[in-house]
Amino acid sequence: MTSIVVEDLRKEFRVYAHRAGGLGALRSLVSRDVRLVRAVDGLCFSIEAGELVGYLGPNGAGKSTTIKMLTGILVPTSGTVTVNGRVPWRERLAHVARIGAVFGQRNTLWWDLPVIESFDLLRHIYHIPPERYRENVRQFTELLGLEEFLRTPVRSLSLGQLMRSNLAAALLHDPEILFLDEPTIGLDVVAKERIRNFVRQINRERGTTVVLTTHDLSDVGKLCERVLMIDHGRLLFDGQLSELQQRFGGERELVVDFAEEYEEPAVEGARIVAREGPRVTYRFGQGEVGALEIIGRLSARYRLLDLSVREPEIEATVRRIYEERLLDRRA
Amino acid sequence: MGALRLYWTLVSVRLHGQMQYRLPFLLDITATFLGSFVDFVALAGVFSRFRSVGGWSLGEVALLYGLAEIPFALKELSLCGYDYDFFAPLVRQGQLDQMLLRPLSLPMQLVAAEFPLRRLGRLSQAVLVFALGLHLTPIAWSAAKLLYLPIVGLSALAFFAAIDITGSTACFWTVERLEVFSLFSYGGAAMLSFPMHIYHVWLRRFFTFVVPAALVVYYPALFLLDKPDPFGLPRLLSFLAPLAGLGTLAAACAFWRFGVRHYQSTGT
Repeated sequence: MTSIVVEDLRKEFRVYAHRAGGLGALRSLVSRDVRLVRAVDGLCFSIEAGELVGYLGPNGAGKSTTIKMLTGILVPTSGTVTVNGRVPWRERLAHVARIGAVFGQRNTLWWDLPVIESFDLLRHIYHIPPERYRENVRQFTELLGLEEFLRTPVRSLSLGQLMRSNLAAALLHDPEILFLDEPTIGLDVVAKERIRNFVRQINRERGTTVVLTTHDLSDVGKLCERVLMIDHGRLLFDGQLSELQQRFGGERELVVDFAEEYEEPAVEGARIVAREGPRVTYRFGQGEVGALEIIGRLSARYRLLDLSVREPEIEATVRRIYEERLLDRRA
Repeated sequence: MGALRLYWTLVSVRLHGQMQYRLPFLLDITATFLGSFVDFVALAGVFSRFRSVGGWSLGEVALLYGLAEIPFALKELSLCGYDYDFFAPLVRQGQLDQMLLRPLSLPMQLVAAEFPLRRLGRLSQAVLVFALGLHLTPIAWSAAKLLYLPIVGLSALAFFAAIDITGSTACFWTVERLEVFSLFSYGGAAMLSFPMHIYHVWLRRFFTFVVPAALVVYYPALFLLDKPDPFGLPRLLSFLAPLAGLGTLAAACAFWRFGVRHYQSTGT
């Protein structure tokens, strides 16, 4: 069942240019320079129910604009969006009752109220059945470790506690889709891990569709199998993360534990980057010689005890894609 | 009714928060009361000098004052969400987007967002002055007058709400504070506290036919006090209050909906 369908989505903004100086201000009253910014330029994709999808792109790529249109905050210039069979901005109330959204470093709860009382207000607003509410509060409190600050006013929470509370709040009404916009930004490693585990568990156990917009590529690496990459409002890539790595991953590493310390265990197709006794680290590029080939060549000449292949960091891959415009089809 | 209960649940949060600290709360109300009272003292000061102003006695002017101020103060209390000073930051800081993510209508969320009890000071002051007016002025009460009085009050409330809603809708286009709306709301209420004939003819015409403030306060007052209109306009005008109130409110709401659509098309 398809949760989200986006067809030829476009969003253009009219940006009025300021003219400098007093005379310029007067002239601005009569006529203004208008620049058309294409924030989203013909996006097409669909997301099935239960998927956990990463939505990547550099700053200004059009990610937030897309999310705003999917949640119904913004109306597109043209194109269609269907979420759970509804057009978000046309049926706002019905649509919004079935989704949850968390925006990084922003708060949706009531500042002066203890967390649990905010939850209670949401129970009324979303008409959550009491049993369901109690069960969700119990489970989320346990999974996210909310117990210690459940009765603390929201304004007194640390960022990590705030984000965890917001995440729980977004799921209290059992939404079908969860939109996360940079949920772990500014958080420490422990908090990030906690949130990741929680999101993964919710996705697996409840089949909640998750759309994760993020700059933090370790989030993506640990959570998403499928990624959508966007830049200048266009979709550059839509597929498995592993495919992204394979095609653009740059160099991979091969760490070999030899049976003895060889002097120069050179091999064609790879270069040595580190040595530590019998352990040698090689680097080899994608698309040239495959890992298997290199291992074959090595084992033909030397005695191997153990080996491992390391994928490049996702950061490095994505950086390459942005910087070297590997996916840029505009040229 | 579900909506009413939800409104009450949301508003009680605000009320609770305000009443948490007793002493500051009481001081707040007292200060607001005194602040608005100074207004009326100035008015009474004029009357200590002159027996009447344009044929109106102090009591009659006090009634007029009450007819303008009570609905205005009620609006300040219950519709604070549409106050420019409250609404503009919401738009600027992106909290409006948060509201769009909740399964509640925007008006409901705005109206339930705040209920500043300290404005009870202004309300109680207006009620006292009105009571004073009633005491000082003999009114020939009839069933019609008694029935019409609350209708007039609600019409004026609708009118003042319309001004606020229009002023806040402007936020969707400009970040500038449009003082012209303060002119209409606070200025309007103040202006209405005096009998219209002391104002210039064009001002009177504007506030009778274009922005019909006079129709919700002055002309009904003429009816209540059995005073003739010094400009010879038909008595009918006194009964147009509900039309004026609802009409301006409907126009303001239409403008609001247009504003929200614009906001959703252009973002922040």
